[in-house]
Amino acid sequence: MLSNVVFSEGVIKNAQKIIDDCMGYEDAFCQSRCPMGTDVKKYVNLIGEKKYDEAIKVIREKLFLPNTLGRICAHPCEKDCRRGVEFNQPVAIAALKRFAAEQADNESIWDTTTESPTGKKVAIIGAGPAGAQAAIDLRKKGHAVTIFDKLNVVGGMMRVGIPEYRLPRDIIDREYNYLNKLGVEMKLGVEIGKEISFNELCEKYDGVIIAHGAHKGNIIPMAGHKAEGVYPATEYLKEISLTQKFSRAVKRVMVIGGGDVAMDCARSSWRIGAKEVYQCSLEDMAKLPASQEEIHESVEEGVVFNAGWGPLEIIEEDGKVTGIKIQKVKSILDKEGKFNPQYEGEAKVIEVDTVIMATGQLVEDVTGGVLPQTRGGRYEVDKETLSTKLDNVFVAGDAAGGFIVVEAMALGRKAANSIDRYLKGQDLRADRDFKNEWTYETKLNVPLPEGTEDLQRLHTNMRPAEERKKDFAQSDLGFTEEQAVKEASRCLVCECKLCMKECIMMNDFGICPKDIITGLVEEGKMEAMLAYSCNACDNCTIVCPHELPMKNIFIGSRKDFVKANKGESPIKGHGAIKIHQILGFSKLFTTKIRGGKKK
Amino acid sequence: MTIKIDKSKRYGFMPGCSLPSYSPEAVTKTTAYLNEVFPNFSAVQKCCGKPTKAVGQYDLFKERFADLQKDMDDVDIDEMIVACQSCKLTFDEASPTPTHSLWELLPIIGLPKELKGKAKDSDIVFTIHDSCSTRHLTALHDGVRWILQELGYKVVESEYSREKTRCCGFGGMVVPANPPVAEKVMKRRVETLETDKIVVYCSACRSSILKGGAKAWHLLDLVWGPVVYAKDAPPEDVLSSPVKAWINRYKAKKGIEKAIK
Repeated sequence: MLSNVVFSEGVIKNAQKIIDDCMGYEDAFCQSRCPMGTDVKKYVNLIGEKKYDEAIKVIREKLFLPNTLGRICAHPCEKDCRRGVEFNQPVAIAALKRFAAEQADNESIWDTTTESPTGKKVAIIGAGPAGAQAAIDLRKKGHAVTIFDKLNVVGGMMRVGIPEYRLPRDIIDREYNYLNKLGVEMKLGVEIGKEISFNELCEKYDGVIIAHGAHKGNIIPMAGHKAEGVYPATEYLKEISLTQKFSRAVKRVMVIGGGDVAMDCARSSWRIGAKEVYQCSLEDMAKLPASQEEIHESVEEGVVFNAGWGPLEIIEEDGKVTGIKIQKVKSILDKEGKFNPQYEGEAKVIEVDTVIMATGQLVEDVTGGVLPQTRGGRYEVDKETLSTKLDNVFVAGDAAGGFIVVEAMALGRKAANSIDRYLKGQDLRADRDFKNEWTYETKLNVPLPEGTEDLQRLHTNMRPAEERKKDFAQSDLGFTEEQAVKEASRCLVCECKLCMKECIMMNDFGICPKDIITGLVEEGKMEAMLAYSCNACDNCTIVCPHELPMKNIFIGSRKDFVKANKGESPIKGHGAIKIHQILGFSKLFTTKIRGGKKK
Repeated sequence: MTIKIDKSKRYGFMPGCSLPSYSPEAVTKTTAYLNEVFPNFSAVQKCCGKPTKAVGQYDLFKERFADLQKDMDDVDIDEMIVACQSCKLTFDEASPTPTHSLWELLPIIGLPKELKGKAKDSDIVFTIHDSCSTRHLTALHDGVRWILQELGYKVVESEYSREKTRCCGFGGMVVPANPPVAEKVMKRRVETLETDKIVVYCSACRSSILKGGAKAWHLLDLVWGPVVYAKDAPPEDVLSSPVKAWINRYKAKKGIEKAIK
């Protein structure tokens, strides 16, 4: 390699453009939307190739409970899937994850290696997804970890919030077994603030992570809310989760709320013997926050929707619920954008004996007032590091503002990263890649692949509604292999690298122009053979969404190579051009002639 | 922009390097025809120096082009006609003399009458391979298609034609620099053409397409040569033999001189 080449300003300027704008390294939309940064595109395509062993390894690089998430993840990845954005038919990513887990997850592939013991001890409050993820990451770093949970079971809200027919409990236990294998100590049935005080925990352990979730239900203080038969969703779902029944009589139920929790309450009601199940919410059908799957399955099971009808008052007789008055919502927000629902038309009364309020959940304080709380009981934390005013205490999961399981996990990972730095006496922020600790915006902006067709999303196989609503066995049977492979093959494999499909030679030098050009910008170096392998055809630039000037770098730099090589091309084969030029300009082969006959 | 012909001006023709090396007949006949059409006509044969520029020898290129420009000026050329796409771009950039592509010019001056429809009975179907260097010169592409239509040949377009055309593999002096890459590019170009009978308007492209495994004719083969049929074999790959190529170049020079006299 010529080491004395000084690349001209124009070449460096063009190279910088590529470093700034080349999208070759940009992640697919699905991956950028996963707070855990799961390489969705990779595993989905491996499933498409029937390489389930490899697919599950890709999933497990980020997620310790693929089968659980494959069933209950709110899948933000699917919201930005290109097939969703373009055709409203996103790839069924979560269901494919479950399929891969069912096909190929095996304890023998679980990575149970840990770094050598650090001698540091961390206490984690809460055995939900946030606490579990934090525990895993800290154990892998060699710290001793103890999880405390006031429940006698692991899983947190996944266990007592998400119904069993959506997430069979043996799956949680099996996937949590990973924590046991890593040597995480579990202290179940121990409530912080009762059996052990928060201060004691902070003193006994080198670090503490608070991740006990939002288990306190929210009751809207409307008329009649104190009547017997009004319950918060948390209490309702928790009891049903732990016992498969509810200790109070439930025949006709109204669930207030339009989110996934409301759907879970409504659908659980059938399974404990309710005869009539209603729903009402300020949001109308089109704006319900619940996932499409949950809404669809609720409708199939016969839940009567009153979406777009708000509750006015709970009607009671002798202190017991007998009905609920609802009215059609005209608007939810006022002109200033404040929450101020307005109603129209005639109100109607639905006779019910039970009202479930699925209208938000609160975080209870386990610190005895030591740490200040904010909206919904979430602790005040530094959003980037999840640190608190106590140096050795960090917060994760719902308690830190997460909403869904995979967010809780990402917050658990973030808190673990912070506490590991704290325990090692390192700065919480130095050289930290915050972008990859949460969702981020990908700069990917590519045209749909030519010939892309709108292929319909495949749905998993559900047990018939009338059958499944009678029990707590899983209602969704997942994909068959044929379905999974077909669904995976719908992935559009979102990436740029369009130029790499055009240009043959660039593939010999790297994965994308940014990769190929980095050395030029960072160290001022480029292989002569790279510059001299360009056909100058411009096809790369033509397909580049940013029309980046690759040719200008390769052809433009040749001048600099020649300058550094005493006026000659550094390429051996170019000796022939010298002869060509001598002959091409020699008298023997040239002529100039002025026609004159018609002058 | 359409070319405006002003016959009070002196037009000049330069065939370039690869065309005379490939076909002295095509050079001679083209020169003779242009000489008939234009009352004031000169011709030059030399290299435009593009190969030096392509490898990065800019100072040398300036010298070389100045040499050629002097020849053009010596024979009083007001406007140039070139048959090579690299020449067209090089002249546009380096020469004060307005320069036209032969392919853009022929539709304006027309072909000799007797050639019209000469191949209307031929059973061959050509795919057109456009030169990538002039991918943005739409009028030039149109001219090529006009000529083929005028002759009566049937053609199909490749998915990668005109501004979307793909390199034949010869560009950028890659053949002597990185032969395996050039070979792959040649094969790939052939794979993306609709039929295995290709018409090109650059002799270097012709050589590449032959190396890539298809049959290729130069547009001037079709204009001046015998009618081509589906069963016919294309002319041999002369450019792969330096000796034959330089002999041709000499013959072309003589042909030009004879055509103008």
